[in-house]
Amino acid sequence: MKVTLNWLKEYVDFSLSPADIAKILTMAGLEVEEYHTETRDFSNLVVAKVESVAKHPNADKLSVCTVNTGVKQLQIVCGAPNVAAGMLAPLALAGATVAGGLKIEARAVRGVPSDGMLCSEVELGLSERADGLMVLPENTPLGMKMEDFIGEADTVFDIFITPNRPDCMSVIGIARVLAAFTGAKFIKPVVKFSAPLMEPVEKSMSVEIMNSDKCARYSGRLIRDVQIKQSPFWLANRLHTVGIRSINNVVDITNYVMMETGQPLHAFDYDRLAGKKIIVREAVEGEKFVTLDNQEHTLNKEALLICDAEKPVALAGVMGGINSEVEDSTRTVFLESAYFDPANIRFTAKNLEMMTEASRRMEKGIDPDGTVYAMDRAVQLMEELAVGRIVQSCIDNYPRKIDPVKIDLSVGRINTLLGTSLSAQEIIAFFPALEITLLRQDGDLLHIIVPTFRPDLTREVDIIEEIAMLYGYDNIRFELAPKINQTQEQNPNTHFRDQIRYSLAGFGFRETISYSLISEKLAEPFLADKCEFIKLLNPLSLDMAGFRPSLILSLLTNVAYNRNRQMPDMRFFEIGNVAWKEPQQQGFTEITQIGAILAGKKQQQAWNAQAAGYDFYDIKGAVTAFLRKCGIHNFEQGTVREKIWDKESSSILINGKYCGAFGKINAALCSLFKIKVPDVYAFFINYQDVYENRATGLKYTAISKFPSIPFDLALLVDAGIALHDIEKEIWQSAGPHLVNLKLFDYYQGEQIQQGKKSIAFSLTFSSKECTLSVEEVDRAVKNVLSHLNKLFGAILRPG
Amino acid sequence: MAEKLQTIVTQISQITAEFQRELAGAESRNDAEQLKLKYLSRKGPIQNLFGLLGTLDNQDRPQAGAELNRLKADVQKAIDAKIESFYVETASIESFDPSLPGQDWPVGGIHPLMVVMDEIKQVFAGMGFRIEEGNEIETDYHNFEALNIPPHHPSRDMHDTFYLGGKYLLRTHTSPVQIHVMESQKPPIRMIAPGKCYRKDTPDASHSPMFHQVEGLCVDKGVSFADLKGVVQAFALKMFGRDVKVRFRPGFFPFTEPSAEYDFSCFCKGKGCRVCKNTGWLEISGAGMVDPAVFGFVDYDPKIYSGYAFGMGVERIAMLKYEIPDIRIIYENDLRFLEQF
Repeated sequence: MKVTLNWLKEYVDFSLSPADIAKILTMAGLEVEEYHTETRDFSNLVVAKVESVAKHPNADKLSVCTVNTGVKQLQIVCGAPNVAAGMLAPLALAGATVAGGLKIEARAVRGVPSDGMLCSEVELGLSERADGLMVLPENTPLGMKMEDFIGEADTVFDIFITPNRPDCMSVIGIARVLAAFTGAKFIKPVVKFSAPLMEPVEKSMSVEIMNSDKCARYSGRLIRDVQIKQSPFWLANRLHTVGIRSINNVVDITNYVMMETGQPLHAFDYDRLAGKKIIVREAVEGEKFVTLDNQEHTLNKEALLICDAEKPVALAGVMGGINSEVEDSTRTVFLESAYFDPANIRFTAKNLEMMTEASRRMEKGIDPDGTVYAMDRAVQLMEELAVGRIVQSCIDNYPRKIDPVKIDLSVGRINTLLGTSLSAQEIIAFFPALEITLLRQDGDLLHIIVPTFRPDLTREVDIIEEIAMLYGYDNIRFELAPKINQTQEQNPNTHFRDQIRYSLAGFGFRETISYSLISEKLAEPFLADKCEFIKLLNPLSLDMAGFRPSLILSLLTNVAYNRNRQMPDMRFFEIGNVAWKEPQQQGFTEITQIGAILAGKKQQQAWNAQAAGYDFYDIKGAVTAFLRKCGIHNFEQGTVREKIWDKESSSILINGKYCGAFGKINAALCSLFKIKVPDVYAFFINYQDVYENRATGLKYTAISKFPSIPFDLALLVDAGIALHDIEKEIWQSAGPHLVNLKLFDYYQGEQIQQGKKSIAFSLTFSSKECTLSVEEVDRAVKNVLSHLNKLFGAILRPG
Repeated sequence: MAEKLQTIVTQISQITAEFQRELAGAESRNDAEQLKLKYLSRKGPIQNLFGLLGTLDNQDRPQAGAELNRLKADVQKAIDAKIESFYVETASIESFDPSLPGQDWPVGGIHPLMVVMDEIKQVFAGMGFRIEEGNEIETDYHNFEALNIPPHHPSRDMHDTFYLGGKYLLRTHTSPVQIHVMESQKPPIRMIAPGKCYRKDTPDASHSPMFHQVEGLCVDKGVSFADLKGVVQAFALKMFGRDVKVRFRPGFFPFTEPSAEYDFSCFCKGKGCRVCKNTGWLEISGAGMVDPAVFGFVDYDPKIYSGYAFGMGVERIAMLKYEIPDIRIIYENDLRFLEQF
């Protein structure tokens, strides 16, 4: 909402600087987003009289004029259609600069010398009116500097009005707040007009409201002998400063009064209303209507229409119709000032995507008591500007009276909620500024009535906010002894997750934070069979079409981003939410995932080392170490389910449950992400599984006091037998004293029988009770050997 | 002692002696590598002896096995040490240069946004707030209605929402977590809800369709606006130092009444600078007293309980703290960015 300093001054008496006003309004909840004082250069611009107009010899649309600046006569070539002998207009002399930065100089125009330029309002930056020269009043002294004519530059404030303050979508409303917060006097303009036409308005107009739930009040006035013309400069200029285009005197007045009072008004061409009748009714489903911006709309039955005896003529509270708008030929105007149901207007405006100045006010709730005031204010201006003659009697159909709200206010509750110690008297002293009426005081309770222009004040707590604002948020103390709730334990879930983030960082991974919104094309390979991508109904772009189904997707995006910038090597991790839609699922599946990625080289070429890339066992090592850090010492491996992996891949099974996978990302997926060298390894693990299987309730386990005995065991087995299975069986058969088992050699090749592999373990035996004898270890090893031999045909490797 | 065992023991000492001699004679890393191949390969003498274990009497086998294992371990260790010595020796004899680079060691790190998030969480945890989280896909009810934002209400315009169809949407703030917590717990409540939020804002230097928020909520008997001011001030001091001033000014949120916006004094100490646009204040976020209508949705009695809520944008704080000029940099995950923190 834009408002100017001079406009505010019409209703409130103050002498504050723009900076002070901005601060006060901001502290009153009307945040001034910016303010600026128009600085315009009017040098070498003077008032001149056009004395004669002749046709330009070489151009049809140009005239050659003689103009008088009071000091001298000049010849000016002019292209304006309204140039006429006798008129006064602004003249830019050589040296002047007009809007848009054009420097004026004396020069020939199409072969005819011109000493300067006669200007329109748009050329002076005063309004958007560009259709002709700015017409200055006849009594303006010739040669007067335009800067004196325009007067001091006004300051425009751009204020963010929160949706709870429709009253402040008006200059009067803002002035009222300014007065309340400065203690200055607020003066609401007294409306006075003569209304000479004594005819009874009912004879010329009747209003019938079919849906009083949607139209609580409908007021109207008739203006006859109307002359549609340009608005005077001050009106067009003022509308211009607050961002409204000047149309003609009638429309400009309705807009001006809307800006001033917050009440949207609509002017109909009375002669185009059939049957001297207004009917307010709901639309018929599918009914078509053309608004005055020449757009046809198909309405649903919720929409409220203003109709004449035959047809709709306006979309209530949103926009008038093209079939009844005021035109140059209009002789009689019917002025509408109504109160429509805010929710309904909002619904219609949203539905038709028609946010207008009117709907923006109507949808938030204007003052139901303000319809007559605003319409009278408009006819007052019409009378003052000689737009037409006012019919004295008016229409005011108010079938559903909206009463002011009564509220009981407890002084005690105010102070409890705010942490203040205000007395009843101090509180009551705030009421006048809010135009709140105190009905009576009943001990702690204050019974009050709230003005109808504040639809946001319906409850005690709403009034408490008003009091807090007027008292000053700054004046409420900082309570430094906060009440701490000591009955809660910390959230183990978030605590654990933060711990593992720091673990992964400790393992050398860098944390990333990626957009969860991604393209469908990238998401597709990550979706399990029959699971669907979660699409936004209203995405910003195809690149952000929906929710990521995997963290590896995000990490690959990050790899690609860095690779494109000559950074090939990285280790990233991210923990975040991923989601998809399962078949026949009502809602969505959203889970937290842990993802990590290794890309490029793990070792750069260095003076003491050869360059080396990552391999499958690097990512497996990362998974193993990470899980061990979480207290998960064992996981099983299986076949991967995702389509993203190369054959060098494995799932992660914890207690038999599929919790994630790791391995090499396949080349096809890398190329989808435009990663040229497919040397990327990754893992993902579902967070919840890690959390549930984490080490909890740890207790100290006694450490053996006795020496441990190592034993190396080299075996030959069929190449097809997985190491994991062998290890499992060793643990199974080695007895209670095996405490550690580690593969230290693995070989397949020339020196070994084909189809076999050589594997060598170092076993460590230890007991907490005694020093183990060599015999005990030997027995255990023998047992292992015979067990492995039976199961896998394993034999001791011959030397 | 059985004969065969004796043979093995003898061989072990022979091998040991031979090895020691050869090791002493090794003059280069290459010599040492050759030794390794000779003694520790599959066809080497030690491995050979392991092969003989099978021929021993059962009772002798463990002893011999243990001896052999020890031999193997000793040889391995000695060779490794020898090989290692050549790396050092070459340097140390000629010109030991401690300025040569050390072994490359991977450096991980926490994303700067999360550093700030973690700091915020820590500060509030220290003040007795429990950390609560919720889903990013929410229902209209929890994101809006239960927060006193009915359908078609004008305040929905303040949240440009991504819709997923049906009642589902991407949460526009972490406030729905408050509702979930209040639905499942009775007062007293003291919690913060950190997390990702989504709004349909076209990305530019200060807008992102995804951002992070921390919301706080405290509900108990007799909780006042003064308590809210106190806790926000305590946060400001802990986070930004003792000189920071806190300013509350009126604001509007459908789920709080009275509502406020709060600002922290700028690092320029009020002198006015580019960051605070010469106002001396940095807008941080919104806060207020929980609207009784919200209590209505979660079945708390507003006559008994009152509460405050506050929020803050984590990006905003991180951008201020690290002087990051453009919010989009945060989500690019450019190594040159991440490595700065």
